[in-house]
Amino acid sequence: MPVLEASDIVKEYQEGRNRTRILHGVSLTVEPGEVVALEGPSGSGKTTLLQILGCILSPTEGRVKVNGEPADLSDASALAELRKRHIGFVFQQFNLFPSLNALENVQYALQVKGHRGRGLKEEARRWIEAMELSDRAHYLPRDLSGGQKQRVAIARAMAGNPAALLADEPTANLDSQVGTQVLQLFRSLATDHGRGVLIVTHDPKVRDIADRVLRIRDGLIHA
Amino acid sequence: MVDLALRMLLHDRLRFFITVSGVAFAVNLILSQVGLFFGLISNSSVIVRNIPAEIWVTSKNTPNVDFAQAFPEAYVQRVRSIPGVQRADNLIVTFLNIHLPNGATEGTVTYAVEDFQAWNLPWKLESGDIRDLRRGNFMFTDASAVRRIGAFQAGDYREVSGVRMRYAGRSLGATSFTTTPVSFMDYRLAQRMNSNLLEGNTTYILVKAAPGANIQALKAEIQRRLPHNDVYTRNEWAKRSDDYWIKNTGIGLNAYLTVALGILVGVVIVAQTLYTSTMEHIKEFGTVKAIGGSNADIYRLLGRQALVAAVLGFAIGALLTLAMEPGVAAIGLRLILPAPVWFSVALGTVFMCLLSAGVSFRKVANIDPGLVFRS
Ligand SMILES: Nc1ncnc2c1ncn2[C@@H]1O[C@H](COP(=O)(O)OP(=O)(O)O)[C@@H](O)[C@H]1O
Ligand SMILES: [Mg+2]
Repeated sequence: MPVLEASDIVKEYQEGRNRTRILHGVSLTVEPGEVVALEGPSGSGKTTLLQILGCILSPTEGRVKVNGEPADLSDASALAELRKRHIGFVFQQFNLFPSLNALENVQYALQVKGHRGRGLKEEARRWIEAMELSDRAHYLPRDLSGGQKQRVAIARAMAGNPAALLADEPTANLDSQVGTQVLQLFRSLATDHGRGVLIVTHDPKVRDIADRVLRIRDGLIHA
Repeated sequence: MVDLALRMLLHDRLRFFITVSGVAFAVNLILSQVGLFFGLISNSSVIVRNIPAEIWVTSKNTPNVDFAQAFPEAYVQRVRSIPGVQRADNLIVTFLNIHLPNGATEGTVTYAVEDFQAWNLPWKLESGDIRDLRRGNFMFTDASAVRRIGAFQAGDYREVSGVRMRYAGRSLGATSFTTTPVSFMDYRLAQRMNSNLLEGNTTYILVKAAPGANIQALKAEIQRRLPHNDVYTRNEWAKRSDDYWIKNTGIGLNAYLTVALGILVGVVIVAQTLYTSTMEHIKEFGTVKAIGGSNADIYRLLGRQALVAAVLGFAIGALLTLAMEPGVAAIGLRLILPAPVWFSVALGTVFMCLLSAGVSFRKVANIDPGLVFRS
């Protein structure tokens, strides 16, 4: 069963009097253990598609299934619930909570997901360790390097064991070497932990770790 | 538990300081105004409340205790004959003039009974023996009068309405709403000093009920026997005096306006700082949503921030108010803040802060969670 499944997605944005169609009927699946890369020129709708798959944005037409569950696109709180249970996001801008240290960023995500107590602390620490951040656990984001921040963000996304990991340009703000390490982490999360990973990126290095590379152009996907 | 709400607040200390100061300022404004209001008002009826008379007989339509009017002193006999009356005595309240050593004249509102001890008057003495009032041309004046009549002490002589009087001592806490000095002297003496008005007359009858007597029934019976007078219970009479000043001086309106202003200032400052703080952290709220947070989670964050501001702001505002007390006392005023006032202001503060949080919430509830993907 695919962790992410989008069928015939159409997305139009209304801007003033104009409706612009960004996605013209896109279908896509991500299987467990698979890394799928999504490339495309800037403005081609990559982020839009990622938001739709991540149940943050509703498509104009089409269906989305997460971990086999159809998303009720009209119900905002049902979508939030799906995000909470099945999806982890990694952003280009990291989006860590600046007032929380590395470990607390992960702990807070677990809190939102309804975890409590000792189990929460242990799981947060496990992901911090898995991201080789043990010695930085109590650093605030402003005291971390870009690569460390992105690793905290990945730990935070993985906390609670979501089936799917969605990353939007995760290496765009990192230098090349650090970017490679981060991509390797995604690879191992798919291989070792069975996550389905979708990475939106311009980064050519993604080809080294992706199982499939999809290109989006003129609102359609080309393999 | 990671308290994101609090951490966000404390991350921007200056803004946090401004928010809490705003609440504290509003709380202080409200508490001090209400306290001053009650302080001023209590002056008007403090004597009524300290005399152990459950019932007061006044002349018809006397507006407040200071503006007394005369009626025949023999009426007291009718009251004494009513079953259920333990004791009834005449009380004269009259304006007399004190000639000051500097040549000026000041009015004094003078309370006169025959037996001061029986009526607990004055209830607090700074110096002197109240029994001296029976011995001749002696008087007590309240210590608070020094602001109006200058320094005086037991043994000093003053000419009062043409009579040479000697101070037997000073009382404490006996005040009038108008800050006119309050004095005490013997009933017959006061009557003689204002004889054209008071010859054969009194201004009030104080009634002490027998233990277990029904006050309302007693009041009705006194009213029946004295149809040309007004009869009040102690509370009614104190309230009538208070209300007179509240209505006729605008202090009631003034207190209302300042309290309204305090609430407005509080809500505006808190809503404004909370709102800008929310807007500055909008991406963090977006992130909370992206990781699966519901609107309820967001509201809890904002509500908690508002609550912290409310509790701290109230505490600081309350401490500031208490700290003002010596200064307020130094200018002859008092802050009186009964427990229900503290309680309502505390509740009001919390409500005000949650209301402000509501403004921010409406904004956050409608944010586009996609903003977390933008740079
Ligand atoms: N909320 C929105 N409202 C209107 N137009 C939007 C909105 N979000 C994105 N777009 C437009 O949709 C197109 C695709 O955007 P996006 O999905 O961010 O592309 P990419 O991530 O591939 O650069 C762009 O032209 C962008 O201007
Ligand atoms: Mg994009």
